[in-house]
Amino acid sequence: MTRLTDDVPHRHESFLRDYGEKIVEVQDETRTPNTSLFTFNKEDHTLGNLISQRLHKYPFILFSAYKVPHPLFSSFELRVQTDGSITPKEAVLRCCQEIVEDLHKLKGKFNTEWAIHLAKQQVDEERRGREREQF
Amino acid sequence: MDDDLLPPEDNGDLQIAFIEASNERAHFVIKNSNLETANSLRRTMLAEIPTLAIDVVEVLDNTSVLADEFICHRLGLIPLSAKGIDELLYSRDCECDGYCELCSVVLTLQAKCESSDVMKVYARDLVITSSRGNQQLGNPVLTDPDRLGSCIVKLRRGQAIHMRCIAKKGIAKEHAKWAPTAAVGFEYDPGNRLRHLDYWYEEDPKKEWPVNEQHLNMDGVPPQEGEPFDYDAVPTRFFFDVETVGGMPPDEIVTKGISTLQEKLAAVIQELKGGDAGDNLDFGGAQSPTMNGMGYGGQDAGYTTPYGGGGPSATAYGGATSAYGGNPW
Repeated sequence: MTRLTDDVPHRHESFLRDYGEKIVEVQDETRTPNTSLFTFNKEDHTLGNLISQRLHKYPFILFSAYKVPHPLFSSFELRVQTDGSITPKEAVLRCCQEIVEDLHKLKGKFNTEWAIHLAKQQVDEERRGREREQF
Repeated sequence: MDDDLLPPEDNGDLQIAFIEASNERAHFVIKNSNLETANSLRRTMLAEIPTLAIDVVEVLDNTSVLADEFICHRLGLIPLSAKGIDELLYSRDCECDGYCELCSVVLTLQAKCESSDVMKVYARDLVITSSRGNQQLGNPVLTDPDRLGSCIVKLRRGQAIHMRCIAKKGIAKEHAKWAPTAAVGFEYDPGNRLRHLDYWYEEDPKKEWPVNEQHLNMDGVPPQEGEPFDYDAVPTRFFFDVETVGGMPPDEIVTKGISTLQEKLAAVIQELKGGDAGDNLDFGGAQSPTMNGMGYGGQDAGYTTPYGGGGPSATAYGGATSAYGGNPW
């Protein structure tokens, strides 16, 4: 494919991790207690907002926020501080696991409701068809 | 597990109610969810569900009035059926050079105008010329009454076009042609009770900004004039209107969106659990399922495969969509 300039990043660079590149890198923050800085590579607001906002709901979280350091680089940094009863890494891990479980429930609910709604529509249509025949 | 540690909204029973369900649309409300989950789901459905689209075009003949790259661009945007896309490899993960049957579908477009009338070449004229996993994957989506599809070029007498189009798997983050949805309608708090919106207006915002009455009626008691503002209120009901481009039924878009999001999170979980040497975590056996083993490795083992880690492993998921029998199309 021809490219106008080499300054333009390849389109797949926003989601394809390089060989050996980690999804998350954890670094302990030494200036404040129980704090870690998580660098997510090749991820964006989809995970950043999801995790940081969800963490706010746990009582053991003192601080959680994320930032995208530069719009041309697809990474974000998540900073998490806990009250010490759990490490930030454990907190993020637990948060992710519970989101996955919630999504699993959501998927189940969606599939049942979809099937129910379709069945209802079918029954309605059949009834309408019968009514038409009667007249 | 301590229930009081769970985020408060999740104690309410998660519910879904449909407003409309058809071949093209899934219009529904998620109740007792939260904004971040709903928005992440919206973002994944828009940009991260793999579909099929023409990616490489070999131009063998083109004497039409349109330039090669112009037609190639048009070809790329034609929606193709993505049925069984999970079985198809990403071309970059495939061991072949260029493309093969495991990672692509080849469509041939060949037409020549020999009459004095203008000849229109439509999407239905794309003919599959490679073998594929099922008889639908890669078929151009034809939804108009005449089943023609979109018009690609017009030819005059003597003009001809012959192209080999190689359709590959991809996601909309790379190019919008891989987007499974034409649009995802997303709304919460239609009455603007939370005041997340500050409407711009000329004279009266109430007159100038029509309210979605249907959504408002489903959003509990409508906001009253002069009611006190609740500073702690958070949105809990989310209205989704998923419209498909045609390559994938709308319910599959939603379930795949959820699965894709789960896979992304699973990759994070695996990375954090695997742990680098010398971290301060005590998991008692790095690989064993920790804390709440529920939901893990059991009914939903598929999502623990790392995202993008070898195509075929993702098929563990493909089964899940049909497991509910919720895909009658």
